[in-house]
Amino acid sequence: MKAGLRQTRSVWGNIFVYLMLALFGAFFAFPLVFAINHAFKPLNELFLFPPRLFVQQPTMSNFQDLFAIMSRSRITFSRYIFNTVFITAAGTFGHILIASMGAYVVSKYRFPGSRTFFKLVIITLLFSPHVLAIPRFLVMNQLKWIDTYLAVIIPAFAMPIGFFLLKQFMDTVPMTLIEAAKIDGAKEFSIFWRIVMPTVKPAWLTVMVFSVLNLWSAQATNFIFSEELKTLPYALSQIIGGGVQRAGVGGAVTLFIMIVPLIVFISAQSNIIETMASSGIKE
Amino acid sequence: MSENPQTQINAGQPKKEKKRNFLSQKYHNLDFQKKNAIAGYLFISPFIIGFLVFMFLPILESLRMVFSEVTMDLENNRYDMVFNGLSNFYYVFQTDPEFNRLLTEELFRMLLSVPAILVFSFFVAMIINQKFKGRSFVRSVFFLPVILSAGVMLGLETNNMLLGEMRSYVQQNNAMTNTITNVLEEILISGGAMDEFLYYVIQVVNEIYGIALTSGMQIIIFLSGLQTISPSMYEASKIEGATAWESFWKITFPMISSLILVNLIYSIIDYFLRSDNTVMEKVTSEIAKMDYGLSSAMAWAYFIIVIIIVGISAGIISRRVYYYE
Repeated sequence: MKAGLRQTRSVWGNIFVYLMLALFGAFFAFPLVFAINHAFKPLNELFLFPPRLFVQQPTMSNFQDLFAIMSRSRITFSRYIFNTVFITAAGTFGHILIASMGAYVVSKYRFPGSRTFFKLVIITLLFSPHVLAIPRFLVMNQLKWIDTYLAVIIPAFAMPIGFFLLKQFMDTVPMTLIEAAKIDGAKEFSIFWRIVMPTVKPAWLTVMVFSVLNLWSAQATNFIFSEELKTLPYALSQIIGGGVQRAGVGGAVTLFIMIVPLIVFISAQSNIIETMASSGIKE
Repeated sequence: MSENPQTQINAGQPKKEKKRNFLSQKYHNLDFQKKNAIAGYLFISPFIIGFLVFMFLPILESLRMVFSEVTMDLENNRYDMVFNGLSNFYYVFQTDPEFNRLLTEELFRMLLSVPAILVFSFFVAMIINQKFKGRSFVRSVFFLPVILSAGVMLGLETNNMLLGEMRSYVQQNNAMTNTITNVLEEILISGGAMDEFLYYVIQVVNEIYGIALTSGMQIIIFLSGLQTISPSMYEASKIEGATAWESFWKITFPMISSLILVNLIYSIIDYFLRSDNTVMEKVTSEIAKMDYGLSSAMAWAYFIIVIIIVGISAGIISRRVYYYE
């Protein structure tokens, strides 16, 4: 949005905006503030009754404990981190590529079956992973993908939610843009890759955030059984499961696992704002 | 560019005819519509394959379970199904003590909270789309609930002894539902700042809090939609003398209307799949009892009702959606 457009807002308008932001912001930030404070609480404060929101005597001992436990684990901890990073990166990249290719043609091309397929995707959005866990396991078993990365990565490619979001955003891309590219002699794939994808960058960044969130927190205990292929959230949840004395470590773990999706979002969201100004949707 | 002599020379030469192999020659000779269809299928086929194998096959399998008595054979990683008609449904609706009650409760709560989520997220998206200092920080703050609610926390919370302890403290002291605001409430009570009125306020806030926590993704979707509206439209309307109120209803609202539909569907689905949804809890508990026929029947019954609601509300809204061409 260009400067000068919204400059007319009055002082009271500004006060209203900031007041609303402060009010809602406090709501939204409460769990994070709680989690951060938790991570730094010494053990005696953690079990204080009634509980307090803010830490009185912050300590790093929770993190020291966490790293001590990590270094003692049977499989080096970097292996768990690698597993999760690999699954997240591969799954997200593949999902964005495949889902946006599909979404592009459903949105902009007419061919038999495309509408029906989209309706089918919307319907399947409603299926809970719990309900599908058993049949899905059997499919994986048939494919001999049990206990491999593939069992987690490949289904992530076909997540219907990303397809749905991308298709809706691509509907807003003007057809004239694509036609113009076609007249200039662009091939099908280069229209998709060099015209449509940059235009809907905010959409796939949103999908990216969503997918990273999903995969980063995947415990994947249904499909992966060998210890050296297990994911970080699984390893961390094992650490927390150790009993009451691990309560402080639990706070540290929560903070640790929250931080990556948060960073991904913060870096993506500045981009979401930037792209629209230069996108070409402008008439 | 036309001043560049190089381009002019190139433009003057006849275009070099490319050699084509048999297949691409055949493709070249097809008419426009057929080309379009072939390109369409090529683009979408990876997604369709993945979708069929990992979503559609399992769904069909679970549909078969609905009408069967399922017995697990854990040693061989397989199960046996015996067709038993509608008896799973009879059990779910007539014998099961709580399914009907849970279902009506959840549907009612959904009908109340989805419009509230839509209004709330639209309002917040409008506010954080404005220009002010620290905007990117504020946007990140508003995304927190999405991160906190998306499995990361839910998965950990159940294992986290500490939050479990806290919950049991809170539950012992008052028998309300266990949300994180109860901890806040607990702090207020112990601070002596708690009377009848404040108690009521806390209860209202509890509901708002639930709505706020579930509308993070919807805010993001609305926000990215608001970004796509070209500023020149607002400029033009301003020059024509439209007030901010008018340009909201004549520009912002129609331009964002397709995303209202998206968010409606998304909110219903999100509500449907949330792990604190009591019907889903019921389904998961049946799965834990290894009763797959019954749990599938419950999930499908719930699913069919929700799909009807989605269909009706999407049908009403999509008539009013404005597509910008």
